[in-house]
Amino acid sequence: MTQFDFSGNWRKAIRLLPQAVVVYVLLAALVIVMLGPYLYIFSSSFKETYTLISIPPQLIPEQFVWDNYIYILNELPFSLWFFNTILVALLVTVGTVLIDALAAYAFAKKQFWGRDFLFGLMLATIMIPGALLLIPAFLITNWLGLLNSYGGLIIPALANVLGVFLLRQFMQTIPEELEHAARIDGCSDFGVFWRIILPLSAPALATLSIVVFTSQWNNLVWPLVVLNDKDLYTLPLGLALLRSEFQVNYGITSASAFLSVVPLLIVFLFLQRYFLEGLTVGAVKG
Amino acid sequence: MATTSATPQRTVLTETSFWKRAAVRRNLSAYAFILPFMALFIIFNIGPFFWALWLSLLRGDLVDQVKPFVGLQNYLSLTTDDITLKVFLNSLQYTVSVVPIAVITALALAFLIGNKLVRFKDFYRAVVFFPLLASAAATAQIWSYILAPRYGVLTYLTGLLGIPEIYWLSDPDWALYGILLIEWWRGIGFHIILFLAAMLGVPEELHEAARIDGANAWQVATRVTIPLMRPVILFSVVMGTIWAFQLFDTVFVLTNGGPVHATATMVWYIYNHAFRYGQVGMAAAMGVVLLLIIMPISYVQMRVLGER
Repeated sequence: MTQFDFSGNWRKAIRLLPQAVVVYVLLAALVIVMLGPYLYIFSSSFKETYTLISIPPQLIPEQFVWDNYIYILNELPFSLWFFNTILVALLVTVGTVLIDALAAYAFAKKQFWGRDFLFGLMLATIMIPGALLLIPAFLITNWLGLLNSYGGLIIPALANVLGVFLLRQFMQTIPEELEHAARIDGCSDFGVFWRIILPLSAPALATLSIVVFTSQWNNLVWPLVVLNDKDLYTLPLGLALLRSEFQVNYGITSASAFLSVVPLLIVFLFLQRYFLEGLTVGAVKG
Repeated sequence: MATTSATPQRTVLTETSFWKRAAVRRNLSAYAFILPFMALFIIFNIGPFFWALWLSLLRGDLVDQVKPFVGLQNYLSLTTDDITLKVFLNSLQYTVSVVPIAVITALALAFLIGNKLVRFKDFYRAVVFFPLLASAAATAQIWSYILAPRYGVLTYLTGLLGIPEIYWLSDPDWALYGILLIEWWRGIGFHIILFLAAMLGVPEELHEAARIDGANAWQVATRVTIPLMRPVILFSVVMGTIWAFQLFDTVFVLTNGGPVHATATMVWYIYNHAFRYGQVGMAAAMGVVLLLIIMPISYVQMRVLGER
């Protein structure tokens, strides 16, 4: 009987072979298309100026040189841009998660006057395109004296409506009994939030952190309108204005683009699950 | 915020005897929790929304203290301006091209990865996610080299196939499609991952039943799997459309709307009129038009998010 099964599987395997070949050839093509551009600029970032424009293009440079990396670190304020991006993305992430979690707790667990109205209002603002808010948000930031500063990058980004939805939805699933027990033990409202709700919401907080961090890391438009000072630029802004403000070639753009992606690639490899979950929040692609 | 109450607040006793105090306290405590969010939300979302509507009725540049009221003049100017029409057509043409292309190719690729013969599906999921990680600015820089005339890799490869050289970003007839190619690469992973999740969620018994009834693979896909994925496909189309109408970053970095306005989009128009040409009113009016286009589409998105 077992022998019969075995030969049956074997026959099945032969029958499926052509299909498997087609499937894996197509998958290989997919991998090349998706990863190829990254690999190509990685290899190009080590090219010399004249090999950058050689025909046919060199997939792997004949000679590896560090010139492009040396240039962006010495001649461009690249390390400053890198630092600015990390600083702003981290502060926005921490601030947003905290502010959103506080609000989400009230919306998930508390009865208060005007709750449904405010929640509906928040829901409705999802429909407003960011470009419409750009001009008045700029004017308000200017009026607050925050133009051309870290504050101007960070503060307007802190109230994230999608984050409140995500966290509220998660917090609603936390059983009431836990809260009651904590209250009987003498916990204050804030104590319940800080000691019970927040730790239990860790998975949702992680997802939101990833979404916010990624979108801040990649944000172009807001830094573009808020910043003048090149030393305050973030990576996307620096990259965007590389060719209009600095004398650069493709080796330098390749090296800068690659370096700007590496941190997120590393974070992604470790926290893939949260990236995939954050996808449906609809904020990853900025 | 620091109200400590030993009695659970829900009991009838507390509700009746301390009704007023308990309710007021509960309200105040809740407001304290939402205060930081609401303050920022009102200053940077609600306020700007109404201010933008008002600005669309004014004329002036960003730094003008007094902007004269011109009524609906900005909206009328939009209808007579040549560039406006071009911008609308570009955004429309781009959206109706990129959304079906992305959704259909993503569906096909989701079927490919979802195929029963494929091991290590997580690997392919990660691979299609990679392009989503890069900023639009970095992606634009990566592709400007690949699409470069003569020495660009893609230009070279298509040349080997005997395809005449395409100036992806400098030919007015092709530039919008050059942008489309880049944005396709950047965004396709979103659709694939959503579809894959939905597809793998379809119970195997349904496929089995269809196969027993004599359906071939194509029929199982089109009559069983895809109909069951309809809500996810709708969400995908909605998100794709919202993003497509708001295309800006890639255009800003690579073509700045050119050549001859071939890639000028609605958001490009808003940015330039507000921050370059000193025509805040026109920019705001265009923003309101964008709002009117986006609103019915993202109403669907709002419903989906509201249901969860």
